[in-house]
Parts: sequence; structure tokens; C-alpha cells
Amino acid sequence: MTGRAMSRLPWAVLRGLVGLIYVFMLGPIIITATVSFNAANQSRFPPVGLSLHWWAEALSPRWLQPLGFSVKLALLAAIITTLLGLPLAFGLTRYRFPGREVLIALSLGPLALPALVTGIGLLQLFQISGFGFLLGFPALLIAHVIICLPFCVRTVAIGLQAMPAKVEQAAASLGARPRTVFLEVTLPLIKSGLFAGASFAFIQSFTDYSISLFLSRAGMQPISVTILSFLDYGFAPTLAAVAVISMVAPLVLIFLVQHFFRIGDFVYGAGGGA
Amino acid sequence: MVGGNNGKHRLLPLLLVGIPGLYLLVFFVLPNAYLFAASFLKSESQMLTSQVTLDNYRFLFGHAVYLRAILRTFWIGAAVGALVVLVAYPLAFFLARTTSPWKGALIALSLTPLLASVVVRTYGWWVLLNREGAIDELLAALGWTHDRPVLLPSSGAIVIGLTHSLLPFGVLTILTTFNGINPNLERAAMSLGATRTRTFFSVTLPLSVPGVAGAFSLAFSLAISAYATPAILGGPASSTMATLIYDFMTTLDDWSLGSALGAALIISSMLLLVVGSVLGSRRVAL
Amino acid sequence: MPEPSVHLDGISKNFGDTVAVDRIDLVVEHGEFLTLLGPSGCGKTTTLNLIAGFLAPDAGAISLAGRPVNDLPPFRRDMGLVFQDYALFPHMSVAQNIAFGLRMRRIDRREIAQRVGEALGLVQLAGLGERRPTELSGGQRQRVALARALVIRPTVLLLDEPLSNLDLKLREDMRLEIMALQRKLAIATILVTHDQSEALVVSDRIAVMNRGRIEQVGRPAEIYERPASRFVAEFIGTMNFVAGQAVSSATAGHVCVVRTDYGQLTAPAPRAMRAGQQVQIAFRPERCRLAAATKPEAGAFLAVPGQVCQHVYLGTRTEVHVALQAGGHCIVELSNDGEQTLPAVGDDVCILLKGQDCSVVPTG
Repeated sequence: MTGRAMSRLPWAVLRGLVGLIYVFMLGPIIITATVSFNAANQSRFPPVGLSLHWWAEALSPRWLQPLGFSVKLALLAAIITTLLGLPLAFGLTRYRFPGREVLIALSLGPLALPALVTGIGLLQLFQISGFGFLLGFPALLIAHVIICLPFCVRTVAIGLQAMPAKVEQAAASLGARPRTVFLEVTLPLIKSGLFAGASFAFIQSFTDYSISLFLSRAGMQPISVTILSFLDYGFAPTLAAVAVISMVAPLVLIFLVQHFFRIGDFVYGAGGGA
Repeated sequence: MVGGNNGKHRLLPLLLVGIPGLYLLVFFVLPNAYLFAASFLKSESQMLTSQVTLDNYRFLFGHAVYLRAILRTFWIGAAVGALVVLVAYPLAFFLARTTSPWKGALIALSLTPLLASVVVRTYGWWVLLNREGAIDELLAALGWTHDRPVLLPSSGAIVIGLTHSLLPFGVLTILTTFNGINPNLERAAMSLGATRTRTFFSVTLPLSVPGVAGAFSLAFSLAISAYATPAILGGPASSTMATLIYDFMTTLDDWSLGSALGAALIISSMLLLVVGSVLGSRRVAL
Repeated sequence: MPEPSVHLDGISKNFGDTVAVDRIDLVVEHGEFLTLLGPSGCGKTTTLNLIAGFLAPDAGAISLAGRPVNDLPPFRRDMGLVFQDYALFPHMSVAQNIAFGLRMRRIDRREIAQRVGEALGLVQLAGLGERRPTELSGGQRQRVALARALVIRPTVLLLDEPLSNLDLKLREDMRLEIMALQRKLAIATILVTHDQSEALVVSDRIAVMNRGRIEQVGRPAEIYERPASRFVAEFIGTMNFVAGQAVSSATAGHVCVVRTDYGQLTAPAPRAMRAGQQVQIAFRPERCRLAAATKPEAGAFLAVPGQVCQHVYLGTRTEVHVALQAGGHCIVELSNDGEQTLPAVGDDVCILLKGQDCSVVPTG
């Protein structure tokens, strides 16, 4: 082999390896999708016969209701998370005060500690404090905001730090009061971070099951819990269809938001903007 | 923003972080603290008393079946951590260094498993690994007609399923580390005569160790807290701490034992977090 | 006679244990261009931030156009600020950037449009109003930043190292433009910079700062030719020093007799001197002559013997580096006008100093 071909070899091997890894990553998902097309009520791969029967069933009210519930829950959770996360991120990035380090750890805590345990703790708390009637949508909302908060705080903080230096001071020097500075300069420049945080929050809420398992009630369940409890009866192609549908919602959302707000920059902490 | 030193300005940050801080305190710290405290309380006929005791922990660590479950949880966590690092590393390296125009799409693609709910991912593995599943049939077709290994349910299946689910986290962490390495360092090495492979082993790899450590501890801590994958892919013989907690809390309705296990899980996660951030790279914005 | 536009009276600012600004007194007259010049960390940017109101002083009073402003927040101080990184609003067009200050002052839309157009013309960016800052070059962004600050007709214009991000040629052109603009609009201006040639070119007066204190304030020629301290002497241009001792005492601004190893010299002293005080005779490379190492001339000249060790060719002139006989090193600048012959490296020479071309500064 020539010298150049020799030096290309390692990279070619890497590319092959990466291809295999993508197969590993996406394979099971594709398999689930194809299983849903089985004609018989069997989870076979490759599918035995092809049918859309299970998809029709997946679109019945029995599954659409929890799906709608999840969407509503995730939307509200994303909004409330943003409303709480924005001032929190602002206070943490721009100011120094005693206890700041502790608060930073707390804000990122829900990512670090098992959601399962927080869910149980919340369940117990609600019950012994007499707020058991909140179980269902209200309790789920409260809990979801907790697990979504770290994402929002993080992306808004990144957005704040990526702002061009001194634009707020420039606005103040030109006569803008603090409120005007915030509305006309700061907010437009962190828009991207806000939407990224809200999107990640939506996904986190939509796909969560650990916390939701404990705080749901009959009829008030997100789709993830419904699917999991259905598994008690074993696997069925309907389940596969439902699961694929429940993957589409966050996917579409991400695609749309990325298109308008370039939230991809926030995925691994890289800042956007000049 | 530079404010003045007057008292009014000192109030502002507290107002900003006060409400979210309070929210976190009540709905995050309190439940975990309560659980932690409850693990030290005796439970009588499914009611928590106010008697402080270490019985719960003694019970857990005394019975072989629970002890095995705890140990199993940790070795699964370590195995998943190692596998995630092994698989994510080449992928992250490729994504960091590739000049393909599809780079952005490839990165997005590597993160899509995060969007798929756990059932989507685990179902696929179940289909592949179960007794009449695709892999089993493939093995039979290749001539292995008797005594084929039972791939599922088993701890091994849990490891595979969790590695699959947690791969994106590993990729993200290691990718961030690669992006943080100054490209001039590699160019310097090559200008001094090192081949691309040599540069990788002498420069890039050592510099990426913090990211590797971070990815390992992240995957480890997420693996030990996972519920659905072990529940679906593992049987009663392969229970983990998370599945046990669920059983304790729901079917068996034993709060104090569940709390004890929960507390153990919290402590392990916190320890892993500390170890991970000490060894790993801290790419946190705050 | 109008009030001074800026008046700093005993201003101090500490950050923890560090003294950033130490009892500064400064006056900037109406229409004057004053430069705060000094190395990084000398407190010049802190002083600017104090004037702008982004920092509150620990002691002292600040007045703008006669009005005490200590308690006024930045958005009420009626000033124009140009930042080192321009700080243009990336989400607004050039015209919107410039209009911002006018909008804050609730000026009606038609007048805003007219004044924005004027401002764009003033900085030679007419027609670029609809562009975004990201579409402009560094020099263009600079002009937008200037226009934005000037369009509001502020009491004082504050410039925080505005040219340091531009390359050399652009910097030299821009500084002349800024100077011309300032003269035309007659707005009191304070420029903060570490670039001493910039300070010499644009300023009416220069305040040289070091470690939080102002070492000397004066016209550029004064600062250059009569530095009051060793720091100022060394900071601006190149300065040669010959050590000596004051023979007699002298009042500030009068001459002082200095005894050196090479003889005596009478030279002006910007600061007061005591008899017996250790001093340095400071002289610029272009203000001395080189002669062959023959019998030194007596009288008004001091002859310092040495040997040529290096030539540095600079186009219009050549620096001749001389190692002094008694130790030390001096630089003599000779013009490359074709009429002078340069002594060769290794030649023995004498540096001839005339008293009135030197300055006496305290040692240390």
C-alpha cells in the first residue's frame, strides 16, 4: 500500500466501526417499529405477515387519551420550568451571594439523583401531609418541573454567558432603565437558550416514567406509565405501534425548534452567538 | 451586570432565586431528606413509627437475596459504565474529527435514542433476545440446535439494554471533552513527526481521560437508578435495587425497607457524582 | 466660562484589599479631549467605569457639567460610551442601534430618523442603516458604536480603548477621524488607552496613571519633553537615564544642578528637588548628539563616553545603541537624512547632552 493509503487505513477502520455502532443504536428502535406491522398478535422479527391492524388500535381513544395527557403535561411543565428557571439562571450567573454554590448544586441535583427515589419521596410527602388528593395531574406537574429544571437553568445560563460583552452596559449608558435593558436587549439575546431549555424540558417530561410511576392515578397517567403497565400482560405489536407514535411527538418538536432557534448549539454546552 | 453597592441591589438576586430555590427545597430536597430519615425508622404493619432503628439496613444487608441484588446492581452499573465508554469513545472521536457535511445530522442521529421512550428501545431488545427471538432463531439456523443459552431474562440482557439506552450520554460527555482539546496540540505533535495514530495515543487519548471518567461515572450512576430496563429485560432472579424499591413500595407496601434501599441509592449516586466531577471534566455553564 | 464637563474630586475605589483608584482629582473642560494613559492595571478603566456609573466610588465626588452624579445610575448620566468590543446590539440593525439612545429619550420618530441619517453621514456609513452588525467589518462597527454614542449629543464622550481591536493602519486612520469629529462637535471626551502614540496624537491633555494614581497631567508636549517622574519618562517613548545627585535644591519647574560621574549639568526639574537627592538625568534619543571620542567640549555640554554596540535601522532614522563606559546603555537616534555619518559598531564615541534638552527626575 502506498504511504497515503496506509495513513488512511485507521480512519477507514474507524468509519466501519462507527457504522456498526449506529446499527447497534438504531437497530432495536427500527425493530420495534417493524414489529408493529406483524399480521398476527406476535412480536416477531422479521414480521410475519404485514398489517396495519395494530396501528389502528394504537390510534384508539384508549391510547390517545394518555398520549394527549402526556402532551398537555409536558407543555405545561415546560412553561412552568421556564418561568422558574429563567430567574434562577439569571440570579446564579449574574450575582454572587452566600449560598450560591449550594444553590447551583441544588439546581443541577435532580439530574444527579435518581428520579425514582425523588418520586417515592414525593409520594410519601403528599400522602402524609394530607395533600394526597393532588396525585395525578397536579402532583405529576410539580414533580416534572423538578426534573426539568436543571435543563432549563443550564441552557439559559449558557445563553447568558454567550451574550456579547457589555451590551447591557451599553444600553444603560444610552439611557435605558434596567427593565428596558432586560426586555429589549437581554431577553432577545437569550431567546435561543430559553427555547432550548423548554424543548429539553418537554422531552424530559414526555419520556419520564420513573417519577410518573408513583404519582399517577387511574385515568391520569402519562403514556409512558400506560405502556409500562400494559407490559404486565406481555408484549404486543400494539404496544410497538404506540411506542413509535410516542417517539414521533418529541422528534417533530425538536426538529421544528432546531429549525427556528438553533438549539443544537446547546446540546453539548457550546455557546451560540457572536 | 455591574450593579451598585446599595442595599436595594443586594435584595434583587435573592428575589430572583428565592422562589425557584424554595420550590427546589420543598419538592426536591424535602422528599429525599424525608426518605433518608424514614430509612432509619421502624415500620409496623405498614405504618411508619417514630422509632429510630438500623433494623432496615440490617435486614437488607443480612438477607442474601437482597445483598445479591445490591451487588448485582453495582456490577451491572460498572459493566454498563465500561461498555458505554468503550462504544461511545470511537463514536465521539469520529463525530469530533469528521469533516463530513453530514456531521450535524450524524450528531443528532446519535442522540435520537434519548427521544425514544424506554419501551421503544427495550422492546426491540426483547424481540431480539427472547427465547423465540431473532437471535435465538439465527443461532438455531447456524446449527446450534440444543441447549442454546437463555439470553433473556438475564443480567446480561440488562447490561446490553442499559448500555444501549445510556450511550447518548456517554457520547455527549466525551464529545464535549474532545471539542475542548486545543487542535493546535495535535498539529504540534504531527509537525514534530508523529503519525495520526501516534498523535492519538500520545496526545489525544491522555487529554480525553477526564471525559472518559466523567462518562463512566455518569453511565454508572444512571444505570444503578434505572427501573424500566431491568424490569423488562431481567427476571425475578435478576432484580436490581430499583426494581426492588418498586416492589417494596407498591406490592409489598413496605415503606421503611424501600426507604432504606432508596437511601442507599441516593448515597451511591452522590458518591459517584463527586468522584465523577473530581476526576472528570466539568463543562457546566454555571 | 462654562462649568467643567467632568470633575473628579478625591475619587477612590477599592476591590477588597486592592486599591484600584487612589484619591484622583481630575478636571475635563468643556470641549476638551483628555486621555487617561497607563499600563494595564493602573486604574484607568476603573476610573472610566466610575465616571459612567457602573461602579460606585468608595470616597470622593463626581460631577458632570456641574451636577453631582454620585447617586445617579448610568442611565441618567447623559453620556456616550464607546466600548472596546463595540457592544453593538446584534439583534438590531445599524439604524436601530443608533436610534436606541434617542428612543430612550422619547424623541419623536421623525426626528429620530433624521438624526440617525445625520449620524450615519457623520461617520461615513451613509446607506448602511439596514445592515446587521455581524455583516460589517471591524472598522465599520467602530463607526456605528461612535455614531450611537454621539447621536444623543451627550455631555461627555467616554471611549474605552476603542481602537485596540483594529489593525495598525486602520487604527491610525480612525484616531484622526475621531479627533476631527471631536473637534467638530466640541464634546468633552475622555479616552482610555495604553497606546502612548495614540495619546500623543489625539489629546489636548494627557493624564498618565500608574497604580491608581495620576502621575502627571499636561499637554502632550509637556508629558513627552518634561516628564515629572521616571515612570512617565519610561512609559512614553524611549528615554535614556544617567544617574546623579542634586547639588542644590530646586523648586518645581526651575533648573537643578546635577553632579554625575561624567561632570556637572544644569537641567530643568518638573518636580521640586532637595540638595543631595538621588536623581536621574533623563534625555530623549533624538535630543542628544554623538561625537567622536576626543576631548569633550566644556561648558553647556555634558559628555558621556561609551562604545557603539548596535545599529537598529528604522527607515527614517537609525538607533545607535551605546554601551556607556561607566556601565549602562543609551540609545541615540540619528536621522537618515544622508548628511550624517554613522559611527561604526565598536567605535568609541561621546554622547553630548545639552542641559535644556534634558529633564531631572527623582530616582525610583
